[in-house]
This record gives sequence, structure tokens and C-alpha cells, in this order.
Amino acid sequence: MILKRKLLESYKLLIIIPLIITLSSLGILLTHGLEESVDLKGGSIAELTLEKKMDQTELKAFIQEKLKIKDVNVISIKGYDATVQMGSDIQVDEFARALKGTAKIKSYRSVGPILGKEAMNQIYWAVGFAFLFMSITVLIVFRNLVPSLAVIMAAACDIIIALGGMSLFKVPLSLASIGAILMLIGYSVDTDILLTTRVLKQRKGKITERAIGAIKTGLTMSAAAIASMSALYIVTVFLIPEAEVLSNIAAVLIIGLSADILTTWFMNLGILRWYLEARS
Amino acid sequence: MRKGISRFIREPRTIILIILVLISLAAIATLGIPQGLDLKGGSIIQIQLEKPVDSATMNTITSVLDKRLNIFGVKDVKVRASGSQNVIIEIAGVKPEEVAKIVGSPGKFEAKIDNKTVLTGADIVSVQSPIIKGNQWEVPFRISTDGAKRFAKAAEGKAGAPVDMYLDDRLITSPEISPDVAAGKPVTDVAITGAESTRESAELKAKEVETLLKSGSLPVKVKIIGVSNVSAELGGEFTKGALIAGLLAIIAIIIILVARYRTPILVLPIFFTTLAELILILGVAAIIRWNIDLAAIAGILAAIGTGVDDQIIMTDEVLGGERVKRRRRRFRIREAFFIIFASAGTLIAAMLPLAYVGFARGATGIGMLAGFAFTTVLGVLIGVFITRPVYAKFMEYIIK
Repeated sequence: MILKRKLLESYKLLIIIPLIITLSSLGILLTHGLEESVDLKGGSIAELTLEKKMDQTELKAFIQEKLKIKDVNVISIKGYDATVQMGSDIQVDEFARALKGTAKIKSYRSVGPILGKEAMNQIYWAVGFAFLFMSITVLIVFRNLVPSLAVIMAAACDIIIALGGMSLFKVPLSLASIGAILMLIGYSVDTDILLTTRVLKQRKGKITERAIGAIKTGLTMSAAAIASMSALYIVTVFLIPEAEVLSNIAAVLIIGLSADILTTWFMNLGILRWYLEARS
Repeated sequence: MRKGISRFIREPRTIILIILVLISLAAIATLGIPQGLDLKGGSIIQIQLEKPVDSATMNTITSVLDKRLNIFGVKDVKVRASGSQNVIIEIAGVKPEEVAKIVGSPGKFEAKIDNKTVLTGADIVSVQSPIIKGNQWEVPFRISTDGAKRFAKAAEGKAGAPVDMYLDDRLITSPEISPDVAAGKPVTDVAITGAESTRESAELKAKEVETLLKSGSLPVKVKIIGVSNVSAELGGEFTKGALIAGLLAIIAIIIILVARYRTPILVLPIFFTTLAELILILGVAAIIRWNIDLAAIAGILAAIGTGVDDQIIMTDEVLGGERVKRRRRRFRIREAFFIIFASAGTLIAAMLPLAYVGFARGATGIGMLAGFAFTTVLGVLIGVFITRPVYAKFMEYIIK
């Protein structure tokens, strides 16, 4: 308790922590960039069931030779299950014929470059507008510039940290991970709204006391969300590695929601207290 | 406590929730939950037209493709326009390699003599079933009398010269002009013939030619720009995995809640509210035939996640601090609802662009995530307007 109070008293310093993490995330993002999945950069990805044991180099050489393409990447082989990615959008009939007798296709996805470019374009718009609409809603709800901006800034940091985490842990940018980012925009502001409402609207008690109450509620919320996403992540990674859609969403949200704990309780709370102190 | 329970049960909101849950359960039991292709197995083929077209042309294109797939014997197929330049074909069960070729061909027929076109697809009146002999195949068809006359005129005096028959600019067969036709006698019954290496492939080829001749040609060039195929087996694994994941996610949430509140009277209601929400979302999906795919499952998880958040907020708001009278408690619930509405508003606002892309621009690109946006928004709305108020009443009457 004493430590908690001490931490709460040095709030101006604490604002720096999420900012440093955000900036380093931005740094990682800019230097390492994001991997793009097949649905954005175009190409083909296939889940195969091998009919005989093969290792990665064997399978790669086999496909390269059969299809006469260079850009083949055998992502994983686990027992008889293999995941293969190819640079160009190979027609599935061609691919099935080439693999006849060696492997069966469990799932196949090929995306032409046109489609990938279109999706990328839509992503910028969707994420941009989602953030804008969220910001407008927050401004309408609080009708108070500084607290609203603090919420919006926390959400922005969450997104940047999530993107930095994707870059670090090699979670590819895909339609699924974008879905997760959009979810994060809506999800992460929950705790910020809780905090702002409690601190600004409640009249009773000191700011610190109100904040401690909000922290307790908020941490329970974040813990529940992170726990459920971890369950989703573990199940998809170990049981159904083919369901990348779900494991990508879970990974992005785990990173983003963890970041949200810092941005809400260090940064947003810090800014709010600073603001209230300056006002009184 | 007992008085509280009976008052809670008699609340109109509680009764409505119970009725809606029962309706949803009945709907799920009788109608079933429609599964997306990635769960039941199947293919999605995305086609792009050479240029954007008006809705009349788009209708022609979708009906030609639909007809082709039907002739080819593909069952359970859905052809739909996506915007003004894309067509999406959903096929349950069939491998896309059998379909891709049929769909991707414009189906343009031409017969040429000395490199001059004398017949086109417009001259075809009817197409008969293919005849297979060993690995030889033949697709007989009838052309109009006008076409036959034109053909006869062009063929006059050219006995033995080849007639090049093209399908989509590929030379299929070059029969020789018979002496009869060369003498100027119009013939309406003609055929395209060919040979393959096996009987099986001959049958397939003949079927393909028949289908293309029968279904007419597409008004614009089409190109397959995306194929996505999930086998039924993998779809089953996805469904199983999603169920396990959902179950574990709920258990994980319960563990957190138990650790925090340590009493079943606070944890169980949250669990039941979450369950009710899940049933209502699936019930709506069953009634409006909304396909639940992997993206939609993620959306349901998101909605349920925020639902649990909201109930934690409410619980803490009411329990926070000292014991309070009912009037004061009502005020606190109102405050909790302020937070709940605000966060629901931001989540829906964030999902709107995605829903817009999905509905207005069609299911290409990011539009594939429309199911995700839809289920999230649906779940949040159900939560805010149906289940949360009941939970609030529960907090008001029963928790002391």
C-alpha cells in the first residue's frame, strides 16, 4: 500500500514510462518494419498433408522443381503437416497437379497482387476512420479537451506499442491482425473511460482514493481480457496452428492490452492528475 | 434475499431476457447455426472483371457463372457481386481446382475458315450431351440456319480445308470441310471433337467444352484474383478448436473473477450473463442466417470480453465503499451505465468503418472482416440493451 501510494504521488515521472515504451516501439517498427501476410502482399499459402515424411529442404526443392518457381518458403513441417508459402499466385489446380502423390491440400489461399493492394488501401482508411470516430465519441462523452486528449493519446500509444510488438515478435500484418488493432481501439479505451469518469465525475474522496478504486476495477478488466486472449492463443497455437486468424488476433490483443495497463494507469492517470492539480 | 429474488424475477427486463434466450435456443436447435466456409470446408473464389460494370451487366455475369457451375454439376454454390468490379463465388465441398478453370474462362466460341471468323457463340442454338468413346470425345451442337448459311457460303469450294474451332482463343479442334458443305449445302448440326490421354480426362474436357458452349460468353474478361480453400476436415478442426478456445477463455475469465471477488454470488451472475449473451448472438445468427466464420468468432469473443468488463465495472461501482441504501445504489448503477454506454459507443464507432467496407464495397479485401465487425457490434448492442440492464437489476435487488 505504501509503495502504491508513493508510486501514485510521483505521477509526473510515471508518464515517461509508457512514452519511452511507445517511442522504442516506434523505433522497432521503423527499423524492422512489419511482415506482410499473403492476403496483403499477394501470393499463395497452402496447408498440406504429406503422404510421406519429408524435411523442409526436400519439400522446398520438390515444389521449386515441379512448379518451376524460385520463391518457395516452407514455413513449417510438423509430422505430416506442412505449411508452404509461395511468392506468386499459383492457380490451385496447377498446384494440386504438381503435388499429386506427394501431398494433399488441406487448405489453399492465393491472393493476386491487385487484391492485396486493394486490401492494404482499405486498411489505411478503416484504421484511420476507426481512430477518428473513436476520438469523436470520446470528445462527445467527456466534452472536456484535456481528459479526452489523454484518452485518445493512450489509445494511440496502445496501437503503436501493439504494432511494435508485432514487429518484434514477427506477427505478420494481415487482415486478422488489423481486425485485432481495430478491436484494440475500442477495447483499450474502456479502462481509460472508467478512469476518467471515476476521477472527474465522482465528488467524494481524494483523487488518489478515487484512482485506487478505478485501478482495482481496471486491472480486473484487463486481467480478464488478457487471460481469455491467452487461452485463445495457447489453444490455437498448439491445437490448430492453421487457424492463424485467431492466434494473430490473440497475440496482437495480448500485447496491446498489456500496453494498455501502462498507458492507462501511468500516462492517462498522470495527465489527469496533473490537469486537475493545475486547474485547482 | 428471497424478496429480492422474487422482485428480480418479476422485473419485465428479466422476463424479456429469459424469453429471448429461449427463442434463441429454439432457433439454434431448429435452424442450426450457419457456418462460414472456413468452418464447414469449402472454397471462395474471388474474381475481378476487366473494368467496373453497371448492374445489368453484373447480373448477366453472375447468372452466366451460376449457370455454368450448375451445368458443371457443382452443387451448393453461391455467386454474388461484390461492388461493381468483383464477383465472389462460394462453393461448399468442391475443390476449387475443378471449378477455377470453368469460371475463369470467358467462354468465347469462334469457328474460323482461313483465319476469318464465320461462326460465334451467338450462332449456337443448342448443345447436346458429350459423347465419349475411349479417350475420344465429341460435343455435338446445333447452329442457327442463318449461321449455317453463312458457314456454307464461306466454305464453298473448300473441301478438305480445316475449320479452326476456338474456345477462348484456344484452338480446340480443326475438322475438315466435308464435300457436302463445300458444295454449298448448309449444315446445322456440327461438333467439336478432341482426344485426351485417358477416358477420365476426356470426360472432363468434354464437360468443360459443353459447359462453356451452353452457358454463353461473359461480356467482359474475368480474372481470378484470389482463391481460398479450406478442406472439410480442417474446417472441422477449426470448429473444434474454436469451441475449446471459447471454453478455456471463459474458464480463464472465471478464475480471474474468483480470485478477485471470492464469492459465487458475484461470479455466477457474470458467468450466466456471458452465457446469455453468447446464446443471443448465436440465436440472431441462426435467425438471420448470418454465417459464423473464424472472423465472426473473434467478434463474438470481443463482444463477450467487453461484456465481462462492463459487469466488473458495475459490480465494483455498486460494491465500492460503504454499504448503501437502494436509492444511492440506483444512482451508482446510473454512473456505471455512463461508463458502459461510453465504451460501447467507442467500440461501435471503431467498428463502423469496417462494417461500411464490408457492406458497401463488398466482401473483397478487408470486407472479409465484415463478419467480425458485425458480430462485435451485434454483441455490444445486445449487451448494452438487453443483458446489462438485467444484471443491473440483479445488483440492485439481490446483492446486499
